[in-house]
Amino acid sequence: MPDVEQMIQRQKALADFGEFVLHCEDLDEILHEACRLVGETLGTGRAKILEIQEGGKELFVRAGVGWAEGVVGHLRLQIEEHSSETYSIEKRVPVVTQDISKEDRFEVPEFMKVAGVVALANAPILLPGGRAYGLLQVDDTEPRDFGEEDTEFLRTYTIILGPLLDRLLKVGELRRSEERFRLMVEEAQDYAIFTTDRDDRIVDWLPGAAAVFGWSAEEVEGKPADILFSPEDRQAGEAEREVETARARGHAPNVRWHVRKDGSPVFIEGAVRALKDGGGSVTGFIKIGQDVTERRASETALAESLQLLRALVEGVPQLVWRAGHGGEWTWSSPQWTAYTGLSAEESQGMGWLRAMHPDDREGVHSAWAKTEAGAPLKFEGRLFHQGEGRYRWFRTRATPVRGEDGQVVEWLGTSTDVDDLRRLQDQQEVMIAELQHRTRNLIGVVQSTFTKTLKGSTSLQDLRARFNDRLAALSRVQGLLSQLAGSERVDFGEMVRAELSGHGALEEPGKVILEGPPGVRLRSGAVQTFALALHELATNAVKYGALQQPAGRLRVSWRLVPVAEGGEPWLWVEWRESGVRMPEVSAPVPGGGYGRELIERALPYQLGARTTYELGAVGVICTIAAPVVSGAA
Amino acid sequence: MAGADLTGRRVIVVEDDYLIADEMRELLEDSGAEVVGPAPTVQDALNLLGRPGAIDGAVLDVNLRGEPSYGVADALLARGVPFVFVTGYGSGVIPQRYAGGGRCEKPVGIEAITRALGFDDARPVH
Repeated sequence: MPDVEQMIQRQKALADFGEFVLHCEDLDEILHEACRLVGETLGTGRAKILEIQEGGKELFVRAGVGWAEGVVGHLRLQIEEHSSETYSIEKRVPVVTQDISKEDRFEVPEFMKVAGVVALANAPILLPGGRAYGLLQVDDTEPRDFGEEDTEFLRTYTIILGPLLDRLLKVGELRRSEERFRLMVEEAQDYAIFTTDRDDRIVDWLPGAAAVFGWSAEEVEGKPADILFSPEDRQAGEAEREVETARARGHAPNVRWHVRKDGSPVFIEGAVRALKDGGGSVTGFIKIGQDVTERRASETALAESLQLLRALVEGVPQLVWRAGHGGEWTWSSPQWTAYTGLSAEESQGMGWLRAMHPDDREGVHSAWAKTEAGAPLKFEGRLFHQGEGRYRWFRTRATPVRGEDGQVVEWLGTSTDVDDLRRLQDQQEVMIAELQHRTRNLIGVVQSTFTKTLKGSTSLQDLRARFNDRLAALSRVQGLLSQLAGSERVDFGEMVRAELSGHGALEEPGKVILEGPPGVRLRSGAVQTFALALHELATNAVKYGALQQPAGRLRVSWRLVPVAEGGEPWLWVEWRESGVRMPEVSAPVPGGGYGRELIERALPYQLGARTTYELGAVGVICTIAAPVVSGAA
Repeated sequence: MAGADLTGRRVIVVEDDYLIADEMRELLEDSGAEVVGPAPTVQDALNLLGRPGAIDGAVLDVNLRGEPSYGVADALLARGVPFVFVTGYGSGVIPQRYAGGGRCEKPVGIEAITRALGFDDARPVH
């Protein structure tokens, strides 16, 4: 039977323990004190607390008194099926062994036998909710019958320990969690983290915020958080808007340029969250943001350079493309699609060949085959222009893009429209041929002129003078023709005027009368013969006729004569000299009659002209009618 | 002219430039040939060919007032009359079917014409 003194002593032990835990928050100290008081109260001097660990597979000697070194805080026992400890935990009841030498229900751990334990009592420690924390175990080196009052004491003791342990375990977990969180937050130097109060004044300023914005905690605590905004955003009320959004919705994005202490800009990607108390009212805000200024700068630079490259590639008149080995296209510029009507997808691989003229495809394949030896790609071929509905010539060039190892990664190519260029080159070839033709014809004319001049000459001196004169006339005609550009034509009136003024015949007023419409355009092919004929008329007039004799007069008149068939009108010209004292009829014709031959034979032969040449009583009268007028260009 | 005796040969000259045609006429006549023409157009040349009298050879300017003289060449081929193209153009202009005919570049001498028409061998004259 328990005596009163013993009861009082045990009540005191419980009360002392209660008082102890009020002033102590350390779990291990409390567990040690619990063991000490139990050992003292039950007079065993030995007690220990075993904690269930490793998911219920081990018992760890967490605290104890009266045990040799190396046991408390070190020893771990496997939870055996046949131990009194296991039984006590499983059945949630105290278990007593009076004398282990007589124990046949349970196996006793070896270390306890070594320590001389003879009797023991186990009481399970249960946490709120019924989960087992471990055991309170009292050991005695003498056989002892732990009575009901002893087990009740132990049970009471463990009932007090349960909630106490639960609280301390939770506090410990919270502290560790807080510590982890604090370390994380303080180590996050790239993240600006800070909190503000309900009026958005800065409260907590963590090291990351200091690193990003340059302000120390002392400098900014208590200051309005909008000092981090740019003056423009502050003016526009952006800072306030952000906080109000977070207040209303719980959070708000914060992705914008901010300002550092030194005024330099910093781009923040982050968010604002409202902090609320238990009642749901907003007590402040937590702001977390990452400094992405560098990333943004490089992204912007990359975007700009891509944009520039894109503008270049899509802006050049060339068709731009990329290809793998053998000309298998991987990409084509919009110009290609606009030009050929083939989409980028349709042009992939060798699909682009469909725009190439069938006759030119073989050349394309052989050009690509040559690149196997490392040569750049070059070929010309016709591409179908969907707008014009015809093929146009293109010059294609491509250079290999090599990787770091020097191997060809891909080909970058351009195709340039050279159709106009080729046409011009063709035209140029025609012009060169035409020039050669004219030159050779001219030599023929010179040859013939020489032969004819030779026949009419009285001496070498005479030949020289006459030949040079005719060459000069021929030369003037060439000059006249070569100065014409494109659709220009020689004007008949100007040609007459030039020939006569070349002899000085227009200087004397009234001597020469020219009458006819301006703007009579001559076919280029007719100019040379016509001009030579005029030259001979003028030369004869200067030497023997109206322009040589003081009383002589010359009238050159011309007009256009329509033809019945509705073709180009004919040019009708009359060269009429008057006041000339004519030579004797029997006198030889000066100059061998070359001028007359040109008029009477060359013009009809060459131009289909109808001509008359008459040595009248008072001078030469010559008429020429010829289809030599060129219509509108 | 030395080395070229075209006596008894009737040669048609087709050339649109009067002075060149006249020079050719004189060259041929000086060598004893009888000149038919000259004719400045394809039509004139065909008209002359249609007249009675054998033609032994022809000297053709390629370009007659912008028109090629191939029509004349075809008529000559059909009759088996030798002809020579006289041209101011470089080589390569004349179609392949006239490869059998001779070709001279302007200005041309009588020896070249004689050779091109095959008058330099011992063929009997008409």
